[in-house]
Order: sequence, then structure tokens, then C-alpha cells
Amino acid sequence: MSHTEPLGNFKSEDAPHYDDVLQCMRCGFCLPTCPTYALTGRERSSPRGRVALARAVAEKKLEFTPAIKEEAFFCLDCRACTSACPSGVRAGEVMEVCRSQAHAFYPLGKMGKAFREFILQKMVPSPDLLETSMLPTRLYQRLGIQWLVRHLKVLKLGPEWMEKAEGMLPRLEKPLRPQLPLLTPARGEKRGKVGFFLGCVMTLMYPNVSRNTVRVLSHQGFEVVTPRETKCCGAPHLSEGDRETARQLALFNLDLFLAQDVDYIVTDCAGCGAALKEYEELLEERAEHDRLARFRSKIRDVSEFLMEVGLRTEGLQEITASVTYHEPCHLCHAQGISAQPRRIIRQIPGVELREMAEASWCCGSAATWGLKYAEDSRKVLDRKLENVKASGAEILVTANPGCQLQLAWGVREASLPQDVLHLMELLGRALPPD
Amino acid sequence: MISSTAIAHLKEKLGDANVLHEKEDLLTLGYDSTPGVHHLPEVVVYPTSSEQVVAAMEIAEREGLPLTPRGSGTGLSGGSVPVKGGMVLCLTRMNRILEIDEENLTATAEAGVITLDLFNAVAAKGLFYPPDPGSQKISTLGGNVAENAGGLRGLKYGVTRDYVMALKGVLADRSLIATGGKSVKDVAGYGFKDLLVGSEGTLGIITEITVKLIPPPQDKRTILAYFDDVRTAGEAVSRIIAAKIIPSTMEIMDRAVINCVEDYVKIGLPRQMAALLLIEVDGHPAPVAEEAAGVRKILEEVKAAEIHVARDAEHAAGLAAARRTALSALARVSPTTLLEDATVPRSRLAETFGEIERLREKYQLKVGTFGHAGDGNLHPTVLCDERDHDEMARAHAFYNELYEQVLAWGGTVSGEHGIGLAKKEYLARQIGPGGVQVMKRIKQTFDPQGLLNPGKIFDEGDPCTKAHVEEGFRVSH
Ligand SMILES: Cc1cc2nc3c(=O)[nH]c(=O)nc-3n(C[C@H](O)[C@H](O)[C@H](O)COP(=O)(O)OP(=O)(O)OC[C@H]3O[C@@H](n4cnc5c(N)ncnc54)[C@H](O)[C@@H]3O)c2cc1C
Ligand code: SF4
Ligand code: SF4
Repeated sequence: MSHTEPLGNFKSEDAPHYDDVLQCMRCGFCLPTCPTYALTGRERSSPRGRVALARAVAEKKLEFTPAIKEEAFFCLDCRACTSACPSGVRAGEVMEVCRSQAHAFYPLGKMGKAFREFILQKMVPSPDLLETSMLPTRLYQRLGIQWLVRHLKVLKLGPEWMEKAEGMLPRLEKPLRPQLPLLTPARGEKRGKVGFFLGCVMTLMYPNVSRNTVRVLSHQGFEVVTPRETKCCGAPHLSEGDRETARQLALFNLDLFLAQDVDYIVTDCAGCGAALKEYEELLEERAEHDRLARFRSKIRDVSEFLMEVGLRTEGLQEITASVTYHEPCHLCHAQGISAQPRRIIRQIPGVELREMAEASWCCGSAATWGLKYAEDSRKVLDRKLENVKASGAEILVTANPGCQLQLAWGVREASLPQDVLHLMELLGRALPPD
Repeated sequence: MISSTAIAHLKEKLGDANVLHEKEDLLTLGYDSTPGVHHLPEVVVYPTSSEQVVAAMEIAEREGLPLTPRGSGTGLSGGSVPVKGGMVLCLTRMNRILEIDEENLTATAEAGVITLDLFNAVAAKGLFYPPDPGSQKISTLGGNVAENAGGLRGLKYGVTRDYVMALKGVLADRSLIATGGKSVKDVAGYGFKDLLVGSEGTLGIITEITVKLIPPPQDKRTILAYFDDVRTAGEAVSRIIAAKIIPSTMEIMDRAVINCVEDYVKIGLPRQMAALLLIEVDGHPAPVAEEAAGVRKILEEVKAAEIHVARDAEHAAGLAAARRTALSALARVSPTTLLEDATVPRSRLAETFGEIERLREKYQLKVGTFGHAGDGNLHPTVLCDERDHDEMARAHAFYNELYEQVLAWGGTVSGEHGIGLAKKEYLARQIGPGGVQVMKRIKQTFDPQGLLNPGKIFDEGDPCTKAHVEEGFRVSH
């Protein structure tokens, strides 16, 4: 997906491959699946249009204009178009690469750059810093200090984001990372040893989810190794167009996890899972092929993993509730995992799965997109909430922290009755008490 | 360049959001699904009513801008590509379903309604709109009418023309017209509704369409047959038709297509087979059972390698959906997919496959063939690379020779995709200079100044007042 030779009017670093854009035969199958095309009805905000723009830049028919930058960031990177495209075109990824081009063509101002560097290159890559930086947020929640609000503003987000960012934050607990044991023993008959990749948002915002994931894995007979040093998977950096920092993080995690003696590397964050599975491409020229392939072969989303090894259902307690499932884009579109979470839900005794319409339509969160384009995000979310409502289910389950934040916020705002849970929280409820 | 006052006028009449003229927008509205053709318009407008269509046309005329109507741009003959620049008039924001009349069994919709949306809306009322082009999820009704689109069910149920009962639209002189109606019988005057169907945007802008609906078939059976040889599949089709069985669908895919589709859908299509036939019979339960048995018997007689019956409705729908992706999936193989629309009398089907095979070897090309076999409508598709000029020349020679043979057999150069830009030279060969002359005279009557979609179907002496072709965007088909 990335290229070191100059291609047309792209700058040489990280340009899309020409073959990737030529692959589009412009059939339009992707149009009805694209949330931004649904918002604007404008061809250039569609996957087909975006690929055409990239192609025009590659063919020197167009400069890398501000409008292309705008499209690159307006794209949700939800990958719905990738699932829809019979020709195998990955418009979302082409746009992801264009985001780093955007920074090359239109460098940020001094302040913006300094804060961007601080957040993306210092704070997020360092788990310790990240955790301490969240401390004031917890204070803020208790004392009402607008710390986070003011600090995030320099990322140049839209004006409406503030209220939303504030409203979205769940009540924060202590970060999970320092609490998880390095090695959680298997329960019952041991079936193997897995590494657990704990995501940043999980440890900070949803410690309860990952605590449950580890409980589930252990209950299923797996010994769980959680390396303390794990760094951010790099997804936020890719999303902001900082591919270089993403590569450094990827190299670090690659070394770290290959050094563990584990059969699988499991994660409960769809965004992390997608990023980890794409290290192979990201690090194409930076790491040996067989190490990348070995790493890739071990990565599993937790639902994928549980279905592959077979869910042990004996001892699960009954939960009488109806559940509907929202598919995170980075699970269904980026990783092709769609049936597995549903199969898990169906295997929990007492649970009734009620399909909602358009389950794989984006919820409008998409990393910082939901904050930058708050109004558009709201429209995408409303479409989702209508479908949630129509399903009549009591519990709304998803499998990605970004979706969970957005949906929980949406449900609260719309005064809907649903509980919003991560799949592992739901399954955790069915486990016998520890 | 279009003047800024004209842009301002357009914005005033149509609203800011419905007038686009930034380069990035022009670039992304200068193509359809036809490979190798790309031309920039000067402005793109999205009318939301017939009145706005008229207003936009008035400004276009004043500015001397040729006018190209556009639906979703899924056309395969370059119909909505603005070869002479000017204004692209995009109908996708006229997308309301206006009425479903259960007493008269009709539906009325604006031209920009997506085909599948209409199908679903009428199905929700227990009714059936049969035309189903492979692009139904994206194409517009207006585009379907303008191309007289066919589809997977064309064999038994016919094509778009067979369902259009009334049209509303705007002619080149900006008069609003309404032709046809809800009466099942109507012979008042010339049938110029039928002239507009298939007119590829050259005779008028269609804004509203009333279609006929029918009750859905009560029963349906889907049969899948695999063959060791494509020609045997062709023979099976001819024999089924000759046995006076009319399935609703009889679709074919050859090995190259099976493999590309399987790469995408992953439903276990057998990669080693030479061809696959997807056959559907529908109607009342008793004849359906009888026809299915008849089909099966013929398949056994010609020695199909394997015969399967779809497990359930969902399985059958999945197979049809897989077939619909055939063309796009072929694009996996190579950068450029050149598709044609060769159609032969059905008795010639097996021979046509033989001919495609012979020419493929002669010109050393990668070819995948699929299509509506029951209609004799095949889409031999050359998988090539537009950067390889020698290969492109061979592809051209391949089609040339193939069409020669198709015409000799009494076939046609387009079964459903229209002539547009891509097939002008072949059309002239099929209907001769006299035929082209008649068409030009009809065009002259409707559009004396040649404003509407110039450069399509046949070459005119250039009646356009203004031509604007962006440097570097050429027809290279
Ligand atoms: C994957 C794929 C599968 C396909 N399968 C089939 C198939 O099975 N059968 C088939 O027949 N075709 C098929 N097609 C071709 C294409 O989808 C049809 O021709 C379709 O009808 C075009 O509709 P559109 O809305 O995309 O129109 P466009 O491509 O935008 O326009 C097509 C033509 O109609 C004119 N036009 C559009 N709207 C109007 C209007 N309102 N008034 C006047 N003129 C108008 C345009 O000027 C142009 O000449 C397929 C295409 C693809 C990409
Ligand atoms: S990206 Fe894929 S689905 Fe979209 S137009 Fe191109 S080939 Fe078709
Ligand atoms: S990734 Fe999502 S938003 Fe971006 S082009 Fe594809 S479907 Fe549209």
C-alpha cells in the first residue's frame, strides 16, 4: 500500500501504489456502503471518487490539493468499501496513505505541530505518560477542571467537539495495565498459552472490559501473558497520517510479542486487531518477511479466537436478555470477522440475538472523526440508533472501545433504554463467579 | 470556461449544494464504468425537480454548454461521459418514489431512484418489478430507461422497456413532456415513449417514470450446473430453449469468472470447472416442478459434470448476488477490464463460445466470459493492461473479428449496454449508413442544436456550439 518511489504528483514517501488505484473499474458497488457518500451525495466523497482523485494525482492530472486533503480526512476509514468491492480495491487504505501525504504537502503551524508531536510521538507511545495524563481527567471528572478539554483543543478539532468529548467520557477508573498480572493462570483443563494485547483506550477507558477478556480467556483454559511494556498499536498515528511513529511502535510490539512464548496474540479491541494484522504491510521494508508472517499468523480478535478454539459453554450461567449486535468497522470490514461474535452471543444460555438492520453500518465514531465532524457523526449515529431502537433488544453489544464510547453516549443522549456492552462484558456476566 | 455569472445563476436556481464546479468534483463526474474514457465537464448540477432541470438547461443553452444527463455512472458504453465538456446533469438527487398504485399495479418514481430501492419498496407491498441489471444496487431508474437495461431475469420477464408505462421529461427545447399513462392499452399517436427508452440521454432528460408491476411468482427453484466444457453449457442452454422451457434466469460464467467471483464471495464455487450455469424457474408450483424436472433431464442428457439444487431461498439469492459481481470481480485479475455485449440468436450459443475460444488463442489474450446465456447475451471480457499498447491493439482486433461473426449470425453489437461512445463504429456496421441516417434525423427533430449528450451513438458533424476537452483526458477505448 505504500511506496517509496515518487509517483506522479505525490511526494515520494508513503504514496499509494499505482496498481492499487488502477484496480478500480468504477462499477460503483461501493457507493451504497459509504457513510460519507450517504452524507453528501457527492461523488468525490465516495470510495470510487476518492480512488479517482488519488489516480489523478498519480497521473499528474491534479495537484495534491486541499480538497484531496479534506477527502482523506473526511473518509472514516471504515473500510465498508473494502468489503463491498468485488475488485479488491481498498479505498480507505488509499486515503489513509493520503493522510500522511497531506502532512507532507500542508505542514501544520508551529503550535499545532508541537502539540501533535507531543501527543502522537510522546504521550501516546508511552504507556506511563498516557496513564498519568489521564489522571487529571479523572480529577476533572471529580473536580470539574476543564483540563482535557483545553489540551485537546490544540489538535485543531472542530468547535462542537468539546461538549461531545466531555459527554462521551465514561466515568474513569484506574488504568488497567498496572493491575493486570503478567501471567494469569488457566482455569480447568489447560488448552494453551496466549499473549494478550491490551489497547490504550481499553486500559484507560474500559478497564472493566479487558479485565473480563482476561477472565474469559483464563476460564476457557488459557494461560494469559500480558506484557507490561506493550505500546500503542499505532492505529491513532495511521489515522492522523503519522506513519513513521506508527512504524516505530509496530517494530517495538513486533519484537516484544515475538519474544513471548505464546501460541496466539489476542486482543479485544477491533481497532488494535486491525492495526496488528496490517503490520505486515506497514513494515514491508522494515522487518524480515518471515518474522512478519509469524506475527501475523498469531493475531486474533478474541471472538475469532474463541470460535476457532471452540467455546466451552459448560458452567456458563443463564442471562435472560435480548441482545442486538453492532459490528465495529474494524472487525467486520477490516478483519472480515462477522459471524463469530454472533455465534458467541447465541451460545450464551438464555440470550436471544435480535439482528438490527444495517448492523455493519458505521456508528460514526471512527477515532477522532466523530469529534472533528461532530455534526456529521451525529447523523451517522442517528441512523444507527434508529436501527437499534427498531430491534427492540434490551442490550446493545459491540466489540470495539470507540464504538462503545460513541454508542453509549448516543443511547444516553437519546434516552434509549439499552445497556451498551462489549461482547466480553456480556460473556463475562455469564461466567461463574471467580 | 463557464462564466462566473452563469455559476451564480445556477446556484441561485438550484441551490449552492447542487452546483459543483471545483476541479475535484469535475474530475470525479467525468467517468462512468467504461474503461479508458474520462472527460471533464465544466459544471455539474443536481436538479431536484423538473423545473430545476428546465432552469439548468436554459443557462446551459445561453452559455453554449452541451448537456450530458447522468444517473449513477454505472454505464458500460460511456453514455454519461461528457465528451464535449459542458454541463453534467446528475439526476441522483431526484430520488423519491412518488406512488405505488396497488389498484393499477404501477409504481411512479423520480429518475434518480436506485433500481433496487424501487424493487424493495414494491416487494414490501407484495408486488414485483422484474428488471434487475447486475448493477441494480447502484444504477438509477433513469439510467435503466435511457439504456433500456436488461438483467438476470430478462429471459422470461423481458427488459426495462417492457415495464415502462409512462415517462415525464424535458426535451431539448425545454418543453415538459408526458408520454404514456397508466392505461394498459394506449395507441394514441406515435409511440414516442418507446423512442425515449434506450435513447441514451440524446433525445431528452427523463425525470419521472411509471412502471408496470406484476404479482411475484409463487414458487421458484434454482439449479446450478457445472460443466467440463463451456460449449456443452452453451448447448444445454440452446436445448432448454428448444424444449420450450423458459426459465426466468439462465446465467453463465466460465472458469476465469468462476475463480474471480469465488475470490470475492468465498462460497465454494468449484474452481476447476470450465463453466457454470445458474438456472432459475419460477411461477405456479406445479409447472415450476415440471420445468425444473425438464431442465434437469436436459442437463443430464448433455452430461453436465454436476447438478445441484439451491438449498433454500437464501442460498439461491446468494448465488444470484455472486453472479452480479462477475464483472467487477474480473477486475481483480488485471488493471483494465474491457467488456463487450455481444448477443446472438440462442441457437448459436455453443458456436459463439467456440469462436471466443478460437479468437482468444489467436490473439493471445486473457478472456473471461459471463452473461445472460438464456438471452444469447454474452459479455466476453478481455483482461488487459491499458499501459500495454500492443495488448490493447490485440484486444481491439479480437472484438472486431468477434463482432464480424456475431453480425453474420444475425446477432447484435449491444444486448443491453447501449452504444454510447464505445460502440459507434460497430453500430454503423450493424445497421448500415441508411439506419444511421434515420437515427440522425430523429435526433435532429428532437434536438436540432445537438445540445443533448453530443457525441454519443453516432458521430455527428459537430453541431455543438462549444467544445471543451481537458488536455490529457482522451478517449482511448
Ligand atoms: C457491474 C455492472 C453490472 C451491470 N449489469 C448490467 C446488466 O445486467 N444489464 C444492463 O442492461 N446493464 C448492466 N450494467 C450497465 C449499467 O448499469 C446500466 O446501463 C444502467 O442502466 C446505467 O444506469 P446509471 O444510473 O448508472 O446511468 P449512467 O451510467 O449514469 O447513464 C447511462 C446513460 O443514460 C443516460 N441517462 C441517465 N439518466 C438519464 C435520465 N434521467 N434521462 C436521460 N438520460 C439519462 C446517460 O446520459 C447515459 O447515456 C452493468 C454495469 C455494471 C458496472
Ligand atoms: S472501488 Fe471497487 S466497488 Fe468501488 S467502484 Fe472501484 S471497483 Fe467498484
Ligand atoms: S473507508 Fe468508509 S468512508 Fe472511507 S471511502 Fe470507504 S466506505 Fe467511504
